[in-house]
Amino acid sequence: MADRHVPDFRGLAIRDLVIAPGASPITQAIAPGEIVGLAGLDGHGQELFLKMLAGLAPPLGGSIVLDLPSGGGKITGFRKAVSSGIAYLPRDRRANGIFPTQSVLDNFAVSTLSRDTRLGLISPAARKARYDIYREKLSIVAPRPDAPITTLSGGNQQKVLLARALALEPAILLLNDPTRGVDVATRHVLYDVFRGLASDGMGLVILSSEIEEILLLCHRVLVFRENEVAAEIAGQALTTDTVISAMFGRAA
Amino acid sequence: MSPTKRFPVLWRNVGFAAVLLVVLLAVNLALNPARFQPGSWGALIGLAAPLIGAAIASTPVILAGRGGIDISVGPLMGFVNAVVIQVLFLGAGISSPLILVPAALLVGALVGAANGFLATIVRIQPIVATLGTYLILTGVTLTILPAPIGPAPAWLKALSGPLSMLPLAAMFIGWWLVRRTPYYDQLMAVGSDDRAAYTAGVDVTRVRFIAYVTTGLLSGCAGLMLTALIGSADPNIGPTYTLIAIAAVALGGVSLAGGRGGVAGAAIGAIDIFLLQSVLTTFNVSTFVLQIAYGAILVLAVMLTALQERLATRRLT
Repeated sequence: MADRHVPDFRGLAIRDLVIAPGASPITQAIAPGEIVGLAGLDGHGQELFLKMLAGLAPPLGGSIVLDLPSGGGKITGFRKAVSSGIAYLPRDRRANGIFPTQSVLDNFAVSTLSRDTRLGLISPAARKARYDIYREKLSIVAPRPDAPITTLSGGNQQKVLLARALALEPAILLLNDPTRGVDVATRHVLYDVFRGLASDGMGLVILSSEIEEILLLCHRVLVFRENEVAAEIAGQALTTDTVISAMFGRAA
Repeated sequence: MSPTKRFPVLWRNVGFAAVLLVVLLAVNLALNPARFQPGSWGALIGLAAPLIGAAIASTPVILAGRGGIDISVGPLMGFVNAVVIQVLFLGAGISSPLILVPAALLVGALVGAANGFLATIVRIQPIVATLGTYLILTGVTLTILPAPIGPAPAWLKALSGPLSMLPLAAMFIGWWLVRRTPYYDQLMAVGSDDRAAYTAGVDVTRVRFIAYVTTGLLSGCAGLMLTALIGSADPNIGPTYTLIAIAAVALGGVSLAGGRGGVAGAAIGAIDIFLLQSVLTTFNVSTFVLQIAYGAILVLAVMLTALQERLATRRLT
């Protein structure tokens, strides 16, 4: 599982994906090591697109296939996506992410519980060891891992959720506005983590409501307008002006 | 995790119920030392066991959250009581614990599975689904057992006397093992926030279904404790445990919204109610007053727990 993102990983292939009735189909490929940004005015389909990649919303047409040397396969639902190697970090941390009554450790481990078991029973030491790897990697500031997650700052809660997703060792990581409500210092830690993951061969798709963030992080941006990809911008052309004009439907 | 770190967690979950336990125990010892002699502990625990069992049994579905509740626990205990004595012991002449115990647990688990099917797959509101089971079980029990009948096998009666710790210990060890499985963490996650659990890849329906089966299984065990205590079969006693068990669970700091608390708290809540009953009967008060006292203590306990929780979160943030 650890070498899921090996060099011959061929990426996430999106073919003729229709996200809303009457919208033209989207064909894209997310390559390993690539950071792809999703931009657009709120509600123009970028979030729906991301959720379809995660298997959380059923596509109206077309297919999403994760092409991996170890298997992968067609994404038909959320569970299938997770087992194929796609991890998703939800947007609304309070409503869809954290378990407020549970400890930091429990919040971290919930997606990967079976990895800490010895003869069917959980080994707290194994879980703690696994958590410590990510605590270091993401510099999570949590004095007591057995305290409720609500005792952490917003940024650190987000890091714990990211650790939960990374613990799945995904080939593709989908991030739904990952720095929303996160302080500036933590943002830069997260940016470094994202770049590090990409250079290790993971494919990242980041939806962001902040254009600066997309310009800073992404190799390539898909700008959504009316549930279609209105523009695909990369390289030198990737500037605030080009992204904003695409968002508002003006020719760049 | 060191004991000093564990303690605040236990305190947060059990808190008020534990204080009440100490106070009630002291009052009981002062009023009635003879009854609390070490020699009579076996019988005393046997007397409290069905309520403790019913409270423990009610806990898993409540922990699973989103209105999860099983009000058929009491009638299921009565049904198990009737099946074990009337059908298996007196009817079929089976008296071996090797058959009666698994049969009781199986009946419990099957009814639990039926509740789970209605509440999680058909998605009827849990209180309505288990109200249906409540009525059906009460009726079926009365059909197979119109009037109280006895006796019970000798080994079963011993379980309410000197060996009364045995079934309770089995329940606690069983739950302690469950606590260490991945399932327990998933249960608490689902109870805490089911949408977040879904997004984290937890099979919410499966987890809730298993919680109902667990509750049924534990109710089967509680039914055996009831049978041991009354040493006979009685169709009318079981259903009376339902509401008082839920009161014990709430008193023990288990949140009825799910995801908070545990079996230890529920058991302490049940012991509180038992000791309160014991104090009041020493004063010869009527059972009507007893009911009023249960209600008053319950409301007070839930208020104090909420207050304590609010103070705790304020201190932490």
